[in-house]
Amino acid sequence: MRVRLNPAFLFLIPALTLILVFYVVPLILSVYIGFTPLQRWNLNRMGSITAYNFERLFYMMFHDPDFGKVIRTTIVFTAFTLAINVLGGLGLGLALYLMDEVLSLPYRILWLLPRMTPVAVYSLLWYYFFLGGEEGTLNSILLRLGVINEPLSWGTDPRLLPETAWVILILVNGFVGVSFGMIVFYSAFHSIPREQVVAARVDGATTSQIVRHVLIPQVRWHIVYVTVWQLLSLLTTFAHIFLLVEWGAVHRWWGSTWALYVFNVAFKTYEQGLAAAAATVLVIIGAILGLVALRILKFKEMMVEPKGEI
Amino acid sequence: MVEVRLEKVTKKFGRVIAVNKVDLVFEDGKFTVLLGPSGSGKSTLLYLVAGIYRPTSGKIFFDDKDVTNLPPRERNVGLVFQNYALYPHMTVYDNIAFPLRLRKEPPEKIDSKVHEVAKLLRIEELLDRFPSQLSGGQQQRVALARALVKEPSVLLLDEPLSNLDALLRLTIRAELKKLQQKLGITAIHVTHDQAEAMSMADKIAVIDQGTLQQVGTPEEVYLKPRNLFVATFIGNPPANTLTGSVQTVDGTVFVEVGSARYQLTEEVSKIVREAGVEKLVVAFRPEHAKIVESPLVDPEGDLVLEGDVYVVEPLGRENIVTLIVAGMPIKVVTPPDVKPHSSSKVYIVVPRNRVMLFDVETGLNIEFLIREIHQKIPD
Repeated sequence: MRVRLNPAFLFLIPALTLILVFYVVPLILSVYIGFTPLQRWNLNRMGSITAYNFERLFYMMFHDPDFGKVIRTTIVFTAFTLAINVLGGLGLGLALYLMDEVLSLPYRILWLLPRMTPVAVYSLLWYYFFLGGEEGTLNSILLRLGVINEPLSWGTDPRLLPETAWVILILVNGFVGVSFGMIVFYSAFHSIPREQVVAARVDGATTSQIVRHVLIPQVRWHIVYVTVWQLLSLLTTFAHIFLLVEWGAVHRWWGSTWALYVFNVAFKTYEQGLAAAAATVLVIIGAILGLVALRILKFKEMMVEPKGEI
Repeated sequence: MVEVRLEKVTKKFGRVIAVNKVDLVFEDGKFTVLLGPSGSGKSTLLYLVAGIYRPTSGKIFFDDKDVTNLPPRERNVGLVFQNYALYPHMTVYDNIAFPLRLRKEPPEKIDSKVHEVAKLLRIEELLDRFPSQLSGGQQQRVALARALVKEPSVLLLDEPLSNLDALLRLTIRAELKKLQQKLGITAIHVTHDQAEAMSMADKIAVIDQGTLQQVGTPEEVYLKPRNLFVATFIGNPPANTLTGSVQTVDGTVFVEVGSARYQLTEEVSKIVREAGVEKLVVAFRPEHAKIVESPLVDPEGDLVLEGDVYVVEPLGRENIVTLIVAGMPIKVVTPPDVKPHSSSKVYIVVPRNRVMLFDVETGLNIEFLIREIHQKIPD
C-alpha cells in the first residue's frame, strides 16, 4: 500500500526545517543539558544523566542570598514593567486616539524612539542619566536644585538598594515596552467604528464615559494579547539589563533577572548544565503564568462563535 | 417636538466648504428628507443639527432656542446611523438602556421605557441577544429603539436603510414612515436614494455641493424641479435633457432641437428675448413621453422629436426604451406592449405641459426664473 503524502507538506518543508533546526532541536537539547553535569563545554560530561542541577537550583532558591535577590528582582521587575507596558500602553493609545491626528503622529514617533534606537545607544543614555559621579544627569540636576548634597550611585549604593536598582531596570525596559502596547491599542481603538463614539456622544456620554463604556470593553482581546505577550518577553528579556549590569550602572544581583542569570551562569561561570536547568524552569514558569493570565482574563469567553444570521 | 431652523449655516473643513449658507426649516412633526449625492454635504448638515459639528458661521434654532453652541447631549436628539453603530459588547437591552443610564434615570424607569420602546419596534424577544446575533433588519430596529428611547425632540436618520437588502428596505421604509407619523416626531432623514426620498418625505430638501438646490414636497421637486441638477438627480430613469438653440422666425420664438422645433410661450419668449438667451435645455420625464410610429399631423404645440430606437429593456410592469435623438440618448418609459424594433425610426411626443425649459448658463428652470424676476421687480 502506498502512503499518499499531502503535497502541501512539500511547501512546508523549508519552514518546518528551520523551526526544527533552530527551535525544536535546541529546545530538546537545552532540556537535556539541564539533566547533565555539563561544565566548561566539556562535552564528555554530557553522557551521564542527573537531576543534580534541579536539586541545586531548588536549594539555591532558599539558601543562596544572591540567587534570592535575582528571584526577587525578577518578580518585581516583571510585575511593574508589565503594569507599565499594559496600562501605560493603554493610556498612551487612548490619549493618541483622542488627540488630533496632527499631534498624534509626532507623539507616536516620539514614543517609538526607544524601540528604534540600538540597544547599546539607548542603554548608554540611561547609563549617563543614572551615573554615580557629579557628571551624571540625574545627580547634576538634583545637586543644582539642592535636593541632594553629594552625588549618589543610584544603582549600586547599598543605602538605596534594592529599590533604586529596580526602578532603573523598570524605567529602561518600560520606555521600550510601552510603545508595543501603544501601537496595538491605538490601532485597536481606530478599528472601532467612529459612529459608536458619535452615537455615545449624542446620547450624552462624556469622554470618560465613552472610554469606560464604549472603547475599553472593545479592546479586551488586545489587552489579553499584550499582557501575555509582554509577560513572556519580560521574563526572558535581558539585553538592556545585561549592559546596565556590565557597565556597573546597577548592582550585580539586585539588578539581575533570572534570564540574565541563565546567561551569566552559562557564559561567565561556564556551568552550562545548571544554566540549562534554570532556563527550563523559567520556560515552565512562563508557560504557567501565561495560562493563568489567559484564565484570569477570560480568554475562552471571548472566543465564542457569533450566532447571528446576516 | 420642535421645529428645527437653520439660518445661513456654513461649515468649512479647512478650505473645503461642506455646507454653504443654508437656510432651511425642518417643520415640527414632519418628515424631511435631505437628498443629495455622496459628498454633497447632507450628512454634515445632519451632524450640525446633532451638534457633533459646530457651524463655521450661521445659527441653528430648535423652536426659539438658539442651540448653535450647545453640545449634542443638551439638544436631546436621537441619531440612527447607516452602520447602526450598536455597541457590540452590550446586549440589545443594554444598548437601548445606555442613553437612559447616562442620564442616571432610576432602574425601574429605565426598565419600563426599554420594554415600551422594544414593544413599539417589536424586538422584545431580542433583548437578551448581542448585536452580532441579529440580522441587519433587527439591528436597524435596535438602533432605532436606542434613538427613540430617550424621547428625542428630533429624530436624525443618517442613511439608515442603505445597508439593508432591497426588499427589506421597502418594508422598513414604509414602517419607518408609519412610526414617524404615529409618534408625530420631527424627523430628518439623509439619503442619496431619490426613490427613498420620494416615498418617505413630507418635504424634500435637495442639496448638492453644500448648497441647497430646492426645497419642496416630493411632487413639487419631481414635477417642477428648480434646476437641471434636481431634474436629472430625481427620477429613475432621470429627466431627459436636450440642448437646443433659440430661433426667431416671423416674430415667433422656437427652440430648435435636432430636426424638431418647439414653440415657446409668450411669457418665456419675452424672457428669452430680454435676456438675450441663445440656448435652452429642453427636458422631460421618461414617463411623460409617448412613442408613435408616424409624425402627428397636428401636434398642438407639443414637443415632437424624431429618434432611432437603440435598445428596449422590458421590466415587466413597463418597458424602458432608449432612443438616440440628435446624437443624445433619451429614455422613454412605455407600457409593456410597446416594443419598437431596434434601429427603427420613431417619434417621441411630449405634451406641452410636461416640457421643462432650463437656462443653459445657470441651470435654472425658466419658470422659476420668471417667478424670481417677478419677485425682484414687483409690477
